[in-house]
Amino acid sequence: MNAIEIRNLTKNFGEKQALQGLNMTVPQGSIYGFIGENGSGKSTTEKIICGLIHPSGGSIKLYGKDYTDQDVRAKVGVLIESPGCFPNMTVWNNLMIQASNLNLKNPQEEIRKMLILVRMEGSAGNKYKNCSLGMKQRIGIAMALLGNPKLLVLDEPINGLDADGMRIMREVLVDIAKSGATIVISSHILGELEKIATHYGIIRGGKMIAEMTAEELEKNCRTFVAIGITNKDMAKMVLGRKYARVEEDENGYIRIYDKTTPEEIVSYLYSEGLVINEIRKDKIGLEEYYIDLMKGKGV
Amino acid sequence: MENSTKLKFEQPSFKERIKGMLGVDFYRLFHTPLFYIFLAIAAIIPAMVSCFTMMPDQNGNVMEPLYSNVWQIIASTESLYVIKSIADYANMNMVFIFGGIMVSIFIGHDYKSGYVKQLFTTHAKKEDYMISKTLTCAFAMVCMCATYFVGGTIGGLFAGYKTDVNFGSLLVSIFGKMVMSLGWASLYTFINVVFRKYFGISIALSFFFGTGILIIGVASIVEALSLPTAFLNIFLYGASVNACLSSNIFAFLTCIIVSVAWAVIYIIVGSFVLNKSDVY
Repeated sequence: MNAIEIRNLTKNFGEKQALQGLNMTVPQGSIYGFIGENGSGKSTTEKIICGLIHPSGGSIKLYGKDYTDQDVRAKVGVLIESPGCFPNMTVWNNLMIQASNLNLKNPQEEIRKMLILVRMEGSAGNKYKNCSLGMKQRIGIAMALLGNPKLLVLDEPINGLDADGMRIMREVLVDIAKSGATIVISSHILGELEKIATHYGIIRGGKMIAEMTAEELEKNCRTFVAIGITNKDMAKMVLGRKYARVEEDENGYIRIYDKTTPEEIVSYLYSEGLVINEIRKDKIGLEEYYIDLMKGKGV
Repeated sequence: MENSTKLKFEQPSFKERIKGMLGVDFYRLFHTPLFYIFLAIAAIIPAMVSCFTMMPDQNGNVMEPLYSNVWQIIASTESLYVIKSIADYANMNMVFIFGGIMVSIFIGHDYKSGYVKQLFTTHAKKEDYMISKTLTCAFAMVCMCATYFVGGTIGGLFAGYKTDVNFGSLLVSIFGKMVMSLGWASLYTFINVVFRKYFGISIALSFFFGTGILIIGVASIVEALSLPTAFLNIFLYGASVNACLSSNIFAFLTCIIVSVAWAVIYIIVGSFVLNKSDVY
């Protein structure tokens, strides 16, 4: 059974079609990286999954049940944009409020566990308004985790975090995933997402344009040989005679995407009278894969 | 990665859900300065109104007293659907004006802080929200009625008004207005749910309903059409003006029936609006 199954989801805001027949499948236990440009429909999809807004059409099943079932809702933890906390209350009291709404049997014990999990055990007495952005996001995660949810929906949880904040957040999410929960996480910081996601969904213009596992992404992401050379124009011309796709990247390296080896390139350029300063074999990451997909390069 | 664990879902009962939500709302009410500020306002305003009308101006002239009796600060002497003087309304009905503003701020904060987003992604139902808010705000208004009574009585005694009264009618008018707090709270909760994205409209509408300005407009139309006006007291103004210093136990029963009817209607319609619209 999948944690989320969405079929032909549509959402209109007046004249604007935010979602246009979106399909999405999130397997149980996965960390699903939900990627898309601003305004592509990520947040709208997540808000619909969480029951905050109504779809115009389509079906959504959570663990095989309709997403509006109140019993299944109790097993969904949510962090949409920022946590819904009262600024003048302490972290502890804000968590107690959520625990009370969730009718937790032993709220204090659960809150303590969550605060330890999000590395906030020493900040329970702080007022929410005095917490840093990173702390607030972790409070949001702790709040979403109360009641032992089986599905976590996190909208941009690492936006605005510093390097240390991102590392902590990454560790927290991996710990959560180990407990068997399914996580749907949207983010613009694809490098971070790549470190934890097991599945990906790429949305564009309200439609899912690709869904894949991390292994499939690994296969899809082409390898290339990058060279550093002084006479770039000459090198590009010479390489272009033999290889189909030769491009200069933003760092000034020339990339050759054909099936080749560094040794073959070195010897070919040497035979043409060109000497290479630097050479490496590499693979495009999620970020480049995504950018290429958006540009329609068909990686 | 496929995990075939069989998940068990449990639906908390209505009693459990409403208990949790009421716990949160009352906790918030008691831990927000807003509540205590409005309690103080409800006590100070009647005391000030009674005292100021007895104070001499710079020429030493004392204006005509607004009241002739301490208890007129609590309720008007007779049941009126349209006020004839400021004194007809400057009684415990003012609590419903303060209460409207307090409810708007209290519910507005739910949306401003994002609390509703956190709440409605759990098993909480929209009906639970309407009921919990109505009951909490009704309690706040009852408390405001109590502080109004204390402030008004002290102010009236200090101003030297007469104290003779039909004690039974006084009790009916005090408890009648307290009972009507439920109806008013449900109306204000409904207004704030409908106009949740427009805080200014919520406050303005609460004020217009609370002051009776809208009722005066409706009353003039009704009169112009030569229709009976008695129902205005009951259905439009929530029987609050029925609870007066000449009322009997039937006025109190009317308050109970109207208040509960308002609450049921506004909770049902408010829940319907919330269920049909996007929450956040």
